[in-house]
Amino acid sequence: MSDTEYIVEMKHVTKRFPNIVANDDVSIQVRKGEIYALLGENGAGKSTLMSMLFGMYQPDEGEIWVRGKKENIVSPSYATELNIGMVHQHFKLVSNYTIAENIILGMEPVRKVLGCIPVVDIKKANREISALSEKYGLQVVPTDVISDIGVSVQQRVEILKMLYREAEILIFDEPTAVLTPQEIGSLLEIIRTLRDGGKTIILITHKLEEIKQVADRCAILRRGRLIGVYDVAATSTKKMANLMVGREVSFDTEKPPAHFGKVVLQVENLTVRNEDRFEKVKNVSFCIHAGEIFAIAGVAGNGQVELADAVAGLVRPSSGRILLGGRDITEETVRGRAEAGLAYIPEDRQNCGLILDFNLKNNEALRKYYRAPFAVRSILQPPEFDSYAEKLIDKYDIRSSQGGDTVVRSMSGGNQQKAIVAREIEQDALLTIFVQPTRGLDIGAIENIRKQIVSERNKGKAIMLISLELDEIMDLADTIAVIYNGEIGKTAPAGELTTNEVGEYMMGVKHHEEA
Amino acid sequence: MKKHSGSAWKYLRISGISLLLGLLIGAAVIAVLGKNPFTAYYNLLQGCGFLEKEKYAGGRSQLSDLSSFIDYLTPMILAALSVAVAMKAGLFNIGISGQMLTAAFTATVLVGYSPLPAGIAKPLVLLIGAAAGGAAGALIGYLKYKFNINEVVSSIMLNYIVEYIVSFFIVTRFVDPISRQSRPVSDASRLTLSEIKISGIKYDIPLGFIVAVAASLLLAFILDKTVLGYDLKAVGANRRASGYAGIHVSKNILTAMLISGILAGLAGVTYYMGYVATIEPKTLSDVGFNAIAVSILGNNSPGGIFLASIVIQIIDKGATYMSSQQTLEVEIASVITSVILLSSACGLFYGEIGEKLRNARTAARKQHRGKEAAQ
Repeated sequence: MSDTEYIVEMKHVTKRFPNIVANDDVSIQVRKGEIYALLGENGAGKSTLMSMLFGMYQPDEGEIWVRGKKENIVSPSYATELNIGMVHQHFKLVSNYTIAENIILGMEPVRKVLGCIPVVDIKKANREISALSEKYGLQVVPTDVISDIGVSVQQRVEILKMLYREAEILIFDEPTAVLTPQEIGSLLEIIRTLRDGGKTIILITHKLEEIKQVADRCAILRRGRLIGVYDVAATSTKKMANLMVGREVSFDTEKPPAHFGKVVLQVENLTVRNEDRFEKVKNVSFCIHAGEIFAIAGVAGNGQVELADAVAGLVRPSSGRILLGGRDITEETVRGRAEAGLAYIPEDRQNCGLILDFNLKNNEALRKYYRAPFAVRSILQPPEFDSYAEKLIDKYDIRSSQGGDTVVRSMSGGNQQKAIVAREIEQDALLTIFVQPTRGLDIGAIENIRKQIVSERNKGKAIMLISLELDEIMDLADTIAVIYNGEIGKTAPAGELTTNEVGEYMMGVKHHEEA
Repeated sequence: MKKHSGSAWKYLRISGISLLLGLLIGAAVIAVLGKNPFTAYYNLLQGCGFLEKEKYAGGRSQLSDLSSFIDYLTPMILAALSVAVAMKAGLFNIGISGQMLTAAFTATVLVGYSPLPAGIAKPLVLLIGAAAGGAAGALIGYLKYKFNINEVVSSIMLNYIVEYIVSFFIVTRFVDPISRQSRPVSDASRLTLSEIKISGIKYDIPLGFIVAVAASLLLAFILDKTVLGYDLKAVGANRRASGYAGIHVSKNILTAMLISGILAGLAGVTYYMGYVATIEPKTLSDVGFNAIAVSILGNNSPGGIFLASIVIQIIDKGATYMSSQQTLEVEIASVITSVILLSSACGLFYGEIGEKLRNARTAARKQHRGKEAAQ
């Protein structure tokens, strides 16, 4: 077997970060024209490995060979020269520029005015991009501004950006994390088209179905080590999952039948405007019972976060009423609501749910620090903070390097989320709002948090679950409500809707009138 | 507790390196000018009464130098605490000089020219200073609370407003025709007992120093041990998360600026009615601006600020004696101070480099050990 058969080879690559070995002696070989998947939990080292191929980091040990030649990829621009392109998990687009301007950024076609003054030839760019988008079936309007287009179109722009730079090796970092089921389908189709057009695709993901659908081969990483490379067609999803986690995993959360109690949360004709006076939530009404998981499905940006913030008291609704346990809390402060029995796990765990520069014990006490036993006559009682943090760390298996004294910023995403969930569940509230509770977490942590949600519900708590992940909604919900464009379009018991139906309501394809 | 002192050590180390760097570069400059840096630095300490001078003018001694030094130190400690409390809440109070002036002018006019006896006048000066400074600080906080006006902008503007209003009144009402400054305040109202003779030696006894020590201790207690301190720090660290936790963010911003203003007011009266007894029209004192740097050098913690104030003020005050002894320019002091402050501002960067080096070393060591074990 000659070396040239492989377009990319990473040989015995090791990369260390402070206190962690991100990649430990990993070797992979990617053939030209295949879809090669990198599978692993969060923190398994997939993104780090690809960041080295894309020149964002340099390996501490090992070699990278591209097209049979040893390369020292010192920067992303050198990677681009080698025709390597990468779509990052978080898009890197200038939001007030047009699609075409974003794509050409850094390598603008130039024409000379009066024969000497160079200006960007935006017309030529628009033409070139239209041609490119037609060639690969990636529909975009080059003159649209990024802030006006949806996430899936933005992703197409990222892909076009790579193609415009004549990338041959395309790296996708968790490309489906932000998409709806329908959009995922079309993205996978695009990826297949690109492969058929002769491109080599490296797909980073922890979603097994996607790998099963498109990938040819799959390398499984666990804790920085390569577990093995498998032929996707010949390996079962179950086996891949077990290899990835390193133990037997169950996908289905065990969920006994629901026993609804009395109404805990009642939202009546709630309208919420954002800072620009734009109506993000429009005249929404619903109620949640004790012992019910009320899941709100929807594509990101359809008003679900505003809805949760309004119920939790972070934003004032412009009209409508919110009742918790029969009491009107519409005018109540955040702290008043918390004391009335409302717990909230917000979407943005790092900027909202935690004070990252505080240590773990101060974060665990964030809801209670101001009253006994944590504070007596406004004087803090440090021993209470210590013992409370120890209790939660123990009970919820929160891992950190220095226990309660660990600065939360240094903890992993999964443990940060566990810390929030622990704090909010310990409030023993009537209603707990979970927004995107498992986003970005690995399978182990997801399992753990879903179990907590179900066990809270079994204890007779009312749960409001907002998630962009349809699987999660289908798995956990007792009642599903779909939010589209600020309105709740469809509400139904979970058993009555299929995944595809929910997806259609999410896209606004189906409306409640038709149903 | 152990882990806390770990991070305290880290900052102490950063500040220590900064200090060393400042002194080294200062020494280099002095050496280039053809003088002996060791003698020059020795002179700095002599000038502040930490070391004995060769000879003293009539009626003065090493202890009287030390007493003037503490007199000079007092307003700086209070002003730097004022910076720190605002910074803890995520605010940048650049208007300390203005708040100092507001407080000092109010107290000068109300008490400084009155015939009140010392026992009433001195506490009253402190009280009025704190109240006027607090009001000035709270105004900035209120503008932010009510209209979301950036505190940096409003405090700079207020600096100018106060400066000119105070100048107007001094020049038209309270001017001393010879010095062109405000008339000196009464000895009864002054917070420094100036040129007090004890067995033939003159001392400047700064009563304000007691206030500065008390303020440091009180502030440390508030920040570390109270609900208010937790709220202020939470608001400073992350406003959104604080709002999520039910902390009233705007109210805490107002409170932080009130406390900051009170401290600035105390700095003002200990400066204009203590260290000096007059107000110069159309100038803001440097203390309020240098305090920002001192606070950073002291890592915004009361204890750190206490030490940092001492270091910076030794260099600042000792420079006069150094320059007279070595025929060096007084500005050498600014060179040293600037380097210290610049490098302490970059301090976290050093910290990170240090950490990286350490990590690389431990990783290398582990690997080495691993290899040995494999063999």
